Formats: sequence, structure tokens, C-alpha cells
Amino acid sequence: MSAIGDIVTNKRIVVCAGSGGVGKTTVAAAIAVRAALDGKRAAVLTIDPAKRLASSLGLKELTNEPTKVSKRKFTSAELDPAGELWAMMLDTKSTFDKVVTRYAPSAEQAERIIANRFYRNISGTLSGTQEYMAMEKLYELYTEGDYDLIVIDTPPTRNALDFLDAPKRLTDFFESRVLRWFLLPYMKAGGGLMRIANVAATTFLRVVKRIVGAEVLEDTAEFFGNLEGMYEGFKERARQVAELLKSDVTAFIVVTSPSQDSVSEATFFAARLNESGLPFGALVVNRVHPRLNEPIDAKPRQLSRLRKGDDTSVLLARLLENHDSFMRVVTLEEENLDALARKVPRHRWVRVPYLQQEAVDLPGLHAIGDQLFTT
Amino acid sequence: MQIDAFLGPKILIVSGKGGVGKTTVAAALALVAARAGRRVCIAEVDRKGTLPRLFGGGRLDYEPKELSPGVWGMNIIPEDALAEYLDVQYHMKRISKAFTSTHFVDYITTAAPGLKDILILGKVWYLEQDRGQVFDTIVVDAPAAGHMLTFLSAPAGLSDAVRVGPIRRQAEWLAEMLRDPGRSRVHLVSLAEEMPVSETLETSTALEGRLGINSGAIFANGVYTELLDDAQRETFEKVMADGSAEELRAAAADVGLTLEDEDVDALVAYSAFLDSRREIQRKHLRTLERGVEQPVIRLPFLFSAGLALPDIETLADVIEGRVADL
Repeated sequence: MSAIGDIVTNKRIVVCAGSGGVGKTTVAAAIAVRAALDGKRAAVLTIDPAKRLASSLGLKELTNEPTKVSKRKFTSAELDPAGELWAMMLDTKSTFDKVVTRYAPSAEQAERIIANRFYRNISGTLSGTQEYMAMEKLYELYTEGDYDLIVIDTPPTRNALDFLDAPKRLTDFFESRVLRWFLLPYMKAGGGLMRIANVAATTFLRVVKRIVGAEVLEDTAEFFGNLEGMYEGFKERARQVAELLKSDVTAFIVVTSPSQDSVSEATFFAARLNESGLPFGALVVNRVHPRLNEPIDAKPRQLSRLRKGDDTSVLLARLLENHDSFMRVVTLEEENLDALARKVPRHRWVRVPYLQQEAVDLPGLHAIGDQLFTT
Repeated sequence: MQIDAFLGPKILIVSGKGGVGKTTVAAALALVAARAGRRVCIAEVDRKGTLPRLFGGGRLDYEPKELSPGVWGMNIIPEDALAEYLDVQYHMKRISKAFTSTHFVDYITTAAPGLKDILILGKVWYLEQDRGQVFDTIVVDAPAAGHMLTFLSAPAGLSDAVRVGPIRRQAEWLAEMLRDPGRSRVHLVSLAEEMPVSETLETSTALEGRLGINSGAIFANGVYTELLDDAQRETFEKVMADGSAEELRAAAADVGLTLEDEDVDALVAYSAFLDSRREIQRKHLRTLERGVEQPVIRLPFLFSAGLALPDIETLADVIEGRVADL
């Protein structure tokens, strides 16, 4: 059984991570499709607004709530799922609203937060929010217990490591002493005394206020004022999520391409998982140019004679050049992958060659699944 | 088109989704500009480190350094840009230390979304204003945010969030800089794949419409070049008609080359592989070319798994050739 097959059999949560453009979403979907075929009730949660994922599953669109892929879609692709496949796409803003509503001590306070301009600005765009909400949604799906397997891809961050730090960065941000200290003069609860005590803070604030304007500071202070008393809830939840990710129901799958940038990022990422005590499950090396034979040793002199020859000779010259190009890229990719093997042992790898079709439909995802599960 | 007309204004911003080869295209454009006799500074952001590797040098700093003749490189670090801003604008060297050493930048950039991008664009603006005219062209390798619009719409977004004060005024300066075709031009980089193409189309529409930013060319990166022309394809089919490829072997033998069975199989299979990849790409290129008004410049897939200076030079050659045909 391949490393992926092993994970799907034994785990409940699969997190697909990797740098942008390596095919995370497709790998996540292919794993969920296979799990459904094998009799699991599987859900795939995507972060990327990938219209293709929806259409490749035969769905019009994906929403923040799971949609079931109908049996008919499978049948028309000549597939017979013993289980079920559900798919959804993260809506960061509405997930965040739900979190606020859950932890706010009253409905009014929740409303005040959701209406706050600062909140409206950050809830969609704050760096780390998307990652945090992805984890929140994952936790919710897991604890509701409706699925045997949940597969999630991770947001297209500037680099894959951001994703691991995001939840902590966000809770730190909400709790930031520095920020609250600076904002104290604006907090109603602070009162007059605090204002005097914090001369340094006020000097500083004057500068900030001159730069960004008083409104922003007021909105920000109001937001943090309303958030008072909710920190414990946030932190507790973040702790539970972290625990779940570290537990043995979870496995991380790192997706990479054989390019140098992507490989070095995957190496860092796998190391970080280990350091953070997160369960590294497998490495998917995606989009590998296949090696079909050994280099054909055509000398430049032979090639130039072929180029000057008859039609067949010219054709042969072109085919040899093309072969040589592929050999070059195959060799370079193998060098990159050798470097990778020194960090992540090969028995944890699954290689997926560049397929000759795109995964635009269920059969396409199924074909990738074949590669993933039968190494 | 003349290369000077193509290069146009002083600021060239190269934007694209992560993984499309944005840095490569930015570097090739910088070479094209340098060959045209311009003094070029290429700026990466947020310590990505790909750029110095392309040029074979060490880490880049906030201060530009020469990477190859006529091409300087620098790294726009938001913290440094903020410190410089505070120093120049408010003469607050000491306070700026407090800003940059206490993670305050993290907090404040978190609080005002897009501020990091503003700081980067602000530094670009500052370089543009430079009266010493140190650089003729500034190529910005834009950050690979979740979406390329995040970076380019940051000034407009900040103007919405902050209604008064110098920051608002300065955000407007930046928005103006981006909107003025005489001052800046945005090039978008895509791949001939579905996700990058649809994001490029979306970005291009938003740039031309909502944001009023002129985009220059669209680079379709990594396009496999056609292997056989029509006549060669005909020969290929004739030769392969009976599946034995005897004529190919004979042609090889004529020049003293022995082809094993598996060699012939591989020659055919790699050519079929290229055809099928090209077929997929063709579909997406069509969508891209139909969807935009700007010229789409196809850059060839380079058969190397990690690019170096010779590859950048090849791409610069291709860009020069394509521009001449425009």
C-alpha cells in the first residue's frame, strides 16, 4: 500500500500543504474521491476559490456548507462509490462571524463586533485569518462527526510556513499587550487616570493618529473593547485545534513539484512539521517529467549531418533534440529530488508524473488517485 | 514595436500568482532594459531570495547593489521602508527604532490591511522621485499574495479605510502613480493553465476597470514550443505508419548512430508527451488571448528545473524578438 493509502485507511484528517502552483487542491480532491470510492464518507474542504474543483466534481459551485456529489455523477464516469463524497469551499468572513457569535457573551455584543468597520476590514483580509478560519471549519466538521475522512488543502500563502504560524499569530494579535497599551487612551474602560499614566503611549498615539487618522484608532479601540472577555474562548479553541492537529487522527501531506524552489520549501516545511510536533504523513512529488530511457548519445556532428539530410533525417534530428531536452529536465529534476531524499526518506514519497490530461473531471481525479494510491 | 516604447515608463511592476515564474520574467525584463542602455534596479520584496540566485549573488539588502552590468538589485523590506518613511517624513529616527524593534510593524500592518504593500509601493514611489536619477527603470517583482489584486489595489483600499491625514494623501499619490501610464506599467505573468489564466483575466479586468491601472503585456510563461512543422509531422506519420520506424533507424545508422528499440519508443513517447501538453496549453492560451486586449507574449518552456542567468538571457532574447513583432 502506498503511504497515502495507509493514511487514508488510518486517519480521519488529512491536511495538504505546499507552495503555490504545485497542485494541492487537485491532490486533496483526488484523495477524497478515492476514499469515497473505497466506502468512506469523505469531505474535501478547499480554501482556493477553485472553480475547476467544483466543476470537476460536477457541482455548479462550492459553498461554506458541504454539498454532496451525487451518485449519478460517479455512475456517468463509470465509477461506483461505496461511500459518499462531500465538497465545500471555505468562506472566511462568514466562518469568522460564526466564531464571533459563538464566543460573544451576548447577541448584542456579537452584532456590535460584526458591524465594526475595523472588524469588517480584517475579517476578510487580515493575514492569518483565512488559515485560522480554515482550522476552525476543520475542527467544526471533525467534532460534528459526520465524516470518516476530511481532506483539506491550505491557503496560497506567500510561503507554506506562514500557514503553521497563522493561528498563533492571530490569537497573539488579539491579545497583544503592545497594541492594547497603545490603544489604552482610546478604550472607554481606561478612564482618565490611565490617560495620564500613559504619557509615552499618548505621544506615540499622537504620531499614529497623525498618520492614519483618529477614526481608524477609534474603530480599532472599539473593536478591542468589544472583544474584551472573549480572549479565553479564542485561546481555548486555538488550543483544541492545535491538539487535534497534533493528535494521531491527523496526517499532513506535503505536496511539491520537482522544481528547485518548490523542493526547498517542501524540505523546510517537513522539518517544521517535525519541530512543531505535527504528524508528517507523506510527501507527494507532483508533476514529475517521466524518465523513459537513458540519454541517447548523439554527437553534435551526427546531429548536424541529420539536419542537412532528407526529410526523415531532419525529423530524426528534431526528435533527438526533443529527447535531449526532456533528458535534461529529467536529470535536473532528479538532482533536486536527490537533495530532497536526503531530508525526507523516499519511502514516505509518492510520485505523480505529469499526466497527459488535466484533472478536469471525476475520471481525471480518479487517474491521479491511481498514481497516489499505487506507488 | 520599438523596445523603448515597450519598456515605457520608469516603473515596471511584474505581478502574478505564486508559482508562475514572476521573478524570472522580472529578471528577463530587467535584462532587456539594461541591454537597451537603461540603468535598471530590480526590487524583490520580503526576502524571497530567488532573485540573487538567478544572478548568482548573495543576499539582497535594502541598499541596491550591482548584480550584473547595468542591473542593480535590492530587497524592499517593509520594516526598513517604514523606518525610512518616519525618518524622512517626521525626523523620528528614534521612534522609528521602537516601531521596528517591537513587532509594532506586525501589529499596525495587521490592523490596517494592505499597509505592508503600501510601504513597498511607497518605497518604489520614493525611488521614482529620486532627483539624482540613479535609475532609469525600476522593475518591481511584486509579492505573490493570495491574489495579485491584493497588492495592486492596496492604495485604493487604504484610501477607503483611512479618510483623513497624511497617510490618506500619500495613498492617493501611490494610486496616481499606478494609474499614470507615463509613470508606471503593470505586466502580468501567467501560465497556460486554468487557475493562473482565470486569475489573470480577473486581474486584467479589474485593473482596466475598477482600478484604472494600465497594464502592459501579459506574459504566458512556460509554453512548450512546437516540435514539428506540418511537413515534418507528415513525414513522422509516414515513417510511423507501420509502427516499425525502420526509416528512422536507417537514417540514424547513416550517421553512425545506433537506436535501440527503447530509444525509438522514447523518441516517439516524448514527442507525444509534448503534443499532449501543448494541446492542454493551447486551450488555456486561447482563453487568455481572447479574454484580454493587451498583447500576450508567449515565453518558451525551458527544459531546466531551476533557472540560472543563461536562461534569463534566453528569455530576454525571446522578449526582444516578440516585441519587435508587435
